[in-house]
Amino acid sequence: MDELMEILEEIDPDIDYEKETRLIDGKVLDSFSIVSLVSQISETFDIEIGPQYLIPANFNSAAAMWKMIQEIQDEE
Amino acid sequence: MNLLSFPFFIFLLILTILYFLVPKRFQWWVLLAGSLYFYGCSGPRNLIFIGITALSTYLAARRIESLQLAQKAELAARKKELDRAGKAALKERYARRTRRLLILTLVLNFGLLSYFKYLHFVVAQINHLITTFGGAAIQDTWQLIVPMGISFYTFQTMGYLVDVYWKKVPAEKHFGKMLLFVCFFPQVTQGPISDWSELTGELFTEHDFTYHNFSWGLQRMFWGYFKKMALANALGVFVRHLFAHYSEYTGIAALIGAFLYSIQIYADFSGYMDIVCGFCEVLGIRLTENFERPYFSKSIAEYWRRWHSSLGRWFKTYIYYPIAMAKWNQKLGRYMRDHFGKAFGRALPASVALVAVWLTTGLWHGASWGYIAWGGVNGLFIIFSLWMEPIYEGWKQKLHINESAFWWRLFQVVRTFVLVTLIKVLPEVGGLRKGLGLWKQIFTNHTIPTNMHMLVPLYNRSYIDTVVIILATVLLLCCSLIQRRQPARAWMQKHIPYPLRLVFFAMLIILAVYIGGAYTGLTGGFMYAEF
Repeated sequence: MDELMEILEEIDPDIDYEKETRLIDGKVLDSFSIVSLVSQISETFDIEIGPQYLIPANFNSAAAMWKMIQEIQDEE
Repeated sequence: MNLLSFPFFIFLLILTILYFLVPKRFQWWVLLAGSLYFYGCSGPRNLIFIGITALSTYLAARRIESLQLAQKAELAARKKELDRAGKAALKERYARRTRRLLILTLVLNFGLLSYFKYLHFVVAQINHLITTFGGAAIQDTWQLIVPMGISFYTFQTMGYLVDVYWKKVPAEKHFGKMLLFVCFFPQVTQGPISDWSELTGELFTEHDFTYHNFSWGLQRMFWGYFKKMALANALGVFVRHLFAHYSEYTGIAALIGAFLYSIQIYADFSGYMDIVCGFCEVLGIRLTENFERPYFSKSIAEYWRRWHSSLGRWFKTYIYYPIAMAKWNQKLGRYMRDHFGKAFGRALPASVALVAVWLTTGLWHGASWGYIAWGGVNGLFIIFSLWMEPIYEGWKQKLHINESAFWWRLFQVVRTFVLVTLIKVLPEVGGLRKGLGLWKQIFTNHTIPTNMHMLVPLYNRSYIDTVVIILATVLLLCCSLIQRRQPARAWMQKHIPYPLRLVFFAMLIILAVYIGGAYTGLTGGFMYAEF
């Protein structure tokens, strides 16, 4: 989880990722940020995030992202 | 069947009565029958093409899902005997089959779309090349009648198929439900391009008649008809005249024409959306919204998230993300980040995807160089802003610009509106050459107009019409300002007494019929139906 938080801080340090639960629905992160975010997560955790995972529910909060990473790791 | 015609109102009335009379579990059957009748009115032959799309997608989605389930079952059954490599090989074997099926169905359906929309354009380009080298041109004698709404229903249906392939949604088992998703009449001609979950969640839910839905739905329909008939159609006459004779007008008149066109196309397309969303609201069905006050956007990228947003979302989901996140593109991004810095690494994969998105967006709108250039210019602005973002940030800090200050936001909104307007007219004047001619007229002809007619084309046509156009534009602006905080109908209910509201809506209808009746025959149907 710490590694994920580091990635998120790098994308935009002004966001409170501990509390924010509407990163996508609230338009806090745009599609450009999501592309960098997915790239960094894939590289750091050595996973492939397919387009099927690109739904707001998976990126609305740091906790949701962490859950998605674990799901992909389990599946792989 | 024209949405502005009397038979259409009768059709809506009968459909509404039947929808609430039949047992609720049959409500969607009423919608299906109505949609097939509506679509059949555009020419029974067209039913064949929409039928091919619905049937091929239905069968492919079912097969893809059954292969995915078979893969899951085989993996579970052979869990102990397969190592990691064995599992990967098994997954790849199934993936190849599902991918083949997906590609085949996409080629069939996008092939049909391309045949109807792009054949003449492709033949014209080939002929241009052939004749340049002295060859004999191909005789283009194909008489193609483009099936109604093919750009919209093909995109929506292919989106569903890809979602099944990505396991985002289950494959629909009932062909009738699939067919309704493809041909639902309020959206088949001009969208919105909905995704499966949001549309079917509404279509297959049972709905009760409520006075609130009926009243609010009708209000929105009246507003939509007013926008289309009293504003878009009336402006259309001015704009059409100016675009056809722009060289006879001064640069300032050409610029006014471009702004009038921006208002016309917004009133036309959002008016259509209000009519169909309003009607669906009467039935209790919520359609995806396509507009979120787009002319208040602060950048072109934001504008495209707020204008025809269902199309933008489609491109984002099925073209932008798959390309931006493709392994080769991500590698390219990492290389750029390691060698040229974080900003480059971030911007490059997105830029590559944006080029693809904007070229296809241009082509989606029409088979002409004008639309391709229009898509290219939009993409260029968005990509340029993306790359320039770190530099802009530096400038803003140096100039001590407060981003939340009213004057700064106003500047951003006005700048975006002007840019969007100038880009918008490029394909609409009658080809790229004429579009560039209009730009040239705007930027180089600085003659001061000597009379009002030279400033606003057809100004003398009718004094009352000009007043109504100005009032309607102001009304549209006020409505957008109210919508920043709450729905306009809620605001009216709170602040305007019931009798006054009745008078207001009666006026909308009278003006729509009075003004629109005079212009409808001159300007044709809805503009986006042409796409």
